[in-house]
Amino acid sequence: MTDQAQGAAALSAVIADAASEIALALRGEGDPYALSRILRQEDALAPAAVRVLGADALAPYALDGHPGADGAGNADAAMVREALTAFPPTGDTSAVSAWSYHGLVEASRAFLPAHTTRWPSPPEPGDDWLDTEPWPRLSHRVSQLASLALPGLALDLTDRLAGRTEDLARGFVRAVRRRDWHQSAGLGRWLARLPQTPPTLGLDSGLRFVRQMSDDPRVAIHVTAAQRFFGRGR
Amino acid sequence: MTVTTPAPPALLHTVGDRALSWLDAHRDHFRLTEADLARGDTLVERLKPIGELAINMRMLFREGVAGGRQRARAGSLLDFAWRELLDGGGVLAMHQHNEPFSPVSLEIYAVFHELGYRHPGLEAALETPRRTATWQALEMAPTRRLGVLNAERRMGLTPSGDFAEALAATWLGRRPEPWTVHLHIAYDITHTVFHLTNWGENPEGIPAPLAEYLELYLPAWAADWAELEHWDLLGELLIVDACLPRPGLDGQLWEPYAAAQAESGAMPVHGRMPQGDPSDVFDIVHHPTLVAAFASAMATSRSLSAGGV
Repeated sequence: MTDQAQGAAALSAVIADAASEIALALRGEGDPYALSRILRQEDALAPAAVRVLGADALAPYALDGHPGADGAGNADAAMVREALTAFPPTGDTSAVSAWSYHGLVEASRAFLPAHTTRWPSPPEPGDDWLDTEPWPRLSHRVSQLASLALPGLALDLTDRLAGRTEDLARGFVRAVRRRDWHQSAGLGRWLARLPQTPPTLGLDSGLRFVRQMSDDPRVAIHVTAAQRFFGRGR
Repeated sequence: MTVTTPAPPALLHTVGDRALSWLDAHRDHFRLTEADLARGDTLVERLKPIGELAINMRMLFREGVAGGRQRARAGSLLDFAWRELLDGGGVLAMHQHNEPFSPVSLEIYAVFHELGYRHPGLEAALETPRRTATWQALEMAPTRRLGVLNAERRMGLTPSGDFAEALAATWLGRRPEPWTVHLHIAYDITHTVFHLTNWGENPEGIPAPLAEYLELYLPAWAADWAELEHWDLLGELLIVDACLPRPGLDGQLWEPYAAAQAESGAMPVHGRMPQGDPSDVFDIVHHPTLVAAFASAMATSRSLSAGGV
């Protein structure tokens, strides 16, 4: 394996471990959640892992009555800030990555309000594709933004996506048919949040099916988020 | 909101024109041999393509769907099927005599009956079996039941069952989770639509809730099978699309479909054209090629009537 491939494999492993812990916390199991408990701050890969997980790094904070692990807020805020500083959006950043960055900033403000200072203020990410992309490409992109489907987050984006609910339902059907569980779960999570998801889609059994078929911890996050925050797929 | 670009009518039309040329050039492969006629089970197998040929040619023969040249070609193939392949209906009457409680003869005859071809002996022989309780009790897939009822209706006979009940028993009639659709379910869906619309003749025959369901999810199924290069099923899904109140006629689906067609006009089932003995190749590709002619004529007609020239 090349150094680059080894690095990518190591990062994937760190992300998968963290994702398993996040899914566990969303189910209300395990110790009280703290990002600084599931990722070691001194781990060189931690900032990249947080950047990839995006707002989901803080998803358990969105649970009702989340107690916040003792004193974790400071350490968690520091970890997120480090990730935001290390991987800022640049001119070459894809729209998905810019949105995900934006989502992490938004989640930090919403869920770590005691640490309001020094969060970056990135420019609004490009959004014209939300209206113009045909449904297959739209679905692919939106599924990659599933971490933004959290209570109180990305409200404008949610409104815009509501206008394309049927297209996302098509994307869900195709993604399940193709056994693309990551895309299926990401779209399922958004569809759980959107108010007009067609009843004929069978989203609840669809989410349960996707969860059964995949052992990917990030799929587990999406399905559990759909269950806990939006009451679907239980 | 859906962002799709419809295929140009010329592309839609060309697929069918080429498919019809191939079918016309290979018409002799539809012929029944003495051996086929001698064995009942083989006969049913060999009648199936003739029934499909008839259904598809009747569709092309309909006023206002195909161009004049296509219509003439379709008419000549129908004549050929009735007179030469079925011996003026004699083959169907013989099969009906051998298998009086099988609906096969009725299903094939109904197509010709609608076009004015007649075999009074067969019609008389169908009467008694149709009045038995067993005719209504015959076990068959719900979609086929719908087809038998439709065949009776087309012949002006009192249908042997309730159409709405039969529809409710089909997969599509229940509108289940669209992400569970696999190959066989997809064919059940297309055939339910064929019977509901009398092979595309009455698009309004699809009840509104089912039409809405299809408009919503058909693009997802079609995109997937286009990517899998399953041209036979994609062709049937394109027919269903052309039967909908607001057909998509999506260029993203029609372009790869048209590109898959062989130079000869034949359409492969899946992937590329098979190689080998011409009669073996015919057995494999006649169905997708008939479907291509049908899909093309339906889509062209809808494209032109929607003012998409």
